[in-house]
Amino acid sequence: MTPLRDSQVLKDRAISIFIGAFAMLWVFPILWTLWSSFRPYKEIRARGTFSMPEEFGIFNYTDAISRMQLPTYLWNSFIITIPAVFLTLVFGSLIAFVVSRYSFKFNVGMLLLFTAGNLLPAQLVFIPVFKLYLNIGDVVGDRRFLYDSPWGVVLIHVAFQMGFATFVLSSYMKTIPKEISESALVDGASVLRHYWNVMLPLLRPPLASLAVLMTTWIYNDFFWALVLMSTDKKRPITSALGRLQGEFVTDYNLLAAGAIIAALPTLIVFFVLRKQFVSGLTLGSTKG
Amino acid sequence: MSGNTSPIRGSDLGFKMTRRELFIGAAGLAGAGALLAACGGDKAVGPLSFGARTVDESPTKQLKALVAAYEAKTGNSVTYNATESNAFQNNLSQYLQGTPDDAFQWMAGFRMQFFADQGLLVDLSDVWDKIGDQYSESYKIASTGLDGKQYFVPQSWYPWGLHFRKSMLSELGIDPDGIYNWDDFMKMLDGMKSKGLIGFAAGDKGGWEAMGTFDMLNARINGYQYHVDLLAGREKWTDPRTAEVFKYWEMLVPYMNDNVLDLEWDGAMQLLLQRKAGAMLMGSWFGGNFKEQSDADYEDLWIIPFPEINPEHKRDTIDAPIDGYCVAKNGSNNDGGKDFLAFAGDMEGVQAMLDTGVPMTSANKGQDTSSYDAFQTQQLAVMAEAKYITQFLDRDTRPDFAGPVVGPAFQSWFKNPKDVNKILESLQAQWDALPPL
Repeated sequence: MTPLRDSQVLKDRAISIFIGAFAMLWVFPILWTLWSSFRPYKEIRARGTFSMPEEFGIFNYTDAISRMQLPTYLWNSFIITIPAVFLTLVFGSLIAFVVSRYSFKFNVGMLLLFTAGNLLPAQLVFIPVFKLYLNIGDVVGDRRFLYDSPWGVVLIHVAFQMGFATFVLSSYMKTIPKEISESALVDGASVLRHYWNVMLPLLRPPLASLAVLMTTWIYNDFFWALVLMSTDKKRPITSALGRLQGEFVTDYNLLAAGAIIAALPTLIVFFVLRKQFVSGLTLGSTKG
Repeated sequence: MSGNTSPIRGSDLGFKMTRRELFIGAAGLAGAGALLAACGGDKAVGPLSFGARTVDESPTKQLKALVAAYEAKTGNSVTYNATESNAFQNNLSQYLQGTPDDAFQWMAGFRMQFFADQGLLVDLSDVWDKIGDQYSESYKIASTGLDGKQYFVPQSWYPWGLHFRKSMLSELGIDPDGIYNWDDFMKMLDGMKSKGLIGFAAGDKGGWEAMGTFDMLNARINGYQYHVDLLAGREKWTDPRTAEVFKYWEMLVPYMNDNVLDLEWDGAMQLLLQRKAGAMLMGSWFGGNFKEQSDADYEDLWIIPFPEINPEHKRDTIDAPIDGYCVAKNGSNNDGGKDFLAFAGDMEGVQAMLDTGVPMTSANKGQDTSSYDAFQTQQLAVMAEAKYITQFLDRDTRPDFAGPVVGPAFQSWFKNPKDVNKILESLQAQWDALPPL
């Protein structure tokens, strides 16, 4: 072996150890949550967090499922997350298509507008949004038209996530050769046909990775559902996690079990779309 | 104080309660319930909704029993909406402006007055006309808004006091009732320390836990009036009398666990439960946790008033937060909400809750206290010794001051008690900078 290769091996090992250490650091809280979720709080309270377990089982899970009223809240999460992700991707790809494929005076300005909207913190705009929803409700004659309705939450998610989706999709579209669009136009494709039959099939990888990210973000949201809804029974699963928390006493072991249950759907989405997710992240990183 | 002199009077913040009044209340006026059974319960008001500020098992059982009793009596259906307490509290302002439930659970004192002042609560004076004589005057004062009308119906209360295990004190040869003043208290703490134990268990990770200690020290050293005046902005945090409070507090630090800022209140409770700590200043709600652990642990638990420091003020003040109900102006059925509260405040409604077997120290005079266990009876005795009742710091001052300003200030004091003057100056500066209500 040449000295050069030796030093390369050494470097690789150092990097592996470094990465390994960080992976451990990252995995530890998850493993600890999993471990805690199998232990009763009573034991922790009496003997401390690091005591050896006497009782060990899935009792926290059965308890959490019934206390969280899992079917109701999971369903609420689905009827918010699925339409919101779908609409975000539809609108995001439409805007990205227009601003990246057609040149007109405001296309850069429009892209900037949509991306900048994404930078506004939700905490800053929630009061105006809340009042707006109530006012629209008063105009329609039903205060619960948008406020306290899953559709209101869907709309705000679409509005907030669309900027990011537009940004990612338009960057990706810029990497698709112009010639494809030109030949479509030469063949007489309409704008919609151009979008639907030519561009959309090429967008599958970034759409899949965005779908994973959006699902995670929207599913994990607690804030909008809290401020835009008044009936707890309509809120998503993040709110149901709160049901495991008492006013004074919090059973952290039960909460750990609830957190694991609540995290499962996003994991499933990730594993289903995993292949597209990875290729979507790297696609466009190299040209050629 | 640039324009910050909010129109709050001392009597709005806490309220007076004479021993005799409380004794009457505690003794329980038998028959009060029967006399007033005719009150509440109007068939005509129609269906309504009730927002519960809890998802905990025991209170849910009580509230559902209350709702069921109301439905059975009146035939009006009640939709029960439960929200986890922190989420409910953080979102209350939006909740009340949007589509609130007709009646909802809330707290007495400043927190109620704040929303009443904004016109979000319904005037309950006529409900009080019906049920008023079942409550002592002090509860009525606690239910009254700044405009002199009632906006609140009390449900229950709990006292803040010094909790300990009787067995641990008797091992030290100390009689709990013998701990009356600061010196007795110090002797007890020294005794614990000499046995290698934590004297005074404390946690302040949540930022609110230590507020109870400040309340008690301030009331003992400077008296009730100074305390409520300070919280209402009529006295200054930079006053040397306020600094005096921290001098006493600092004396307690050597007896505390050294991870105060890492523990929430229940971490401190665990120290007491595990016999690692001698005493803890906390609200009595956690008796249930001891009972859950074992009956023996619960029977060992005891409470006494925080010790006297300044003989002038004896042990005349106590933090005893009152929980209860309000009616939301923006609800769709204000009359329904009022009708429900007239029932909930009446002994008939209270009895429905008590019948569940879940322990509750009700605000209603009519509750039969003979069913109290020893710990509950002692809570009542602790309460009876106090002449003035405060609601707890974060219920007695502006919400935009207590949580975001006072909480972190106390936490930074724990990190460095020597900084006390700097911290107090910053507290006063931040109070002065608050926008007028």
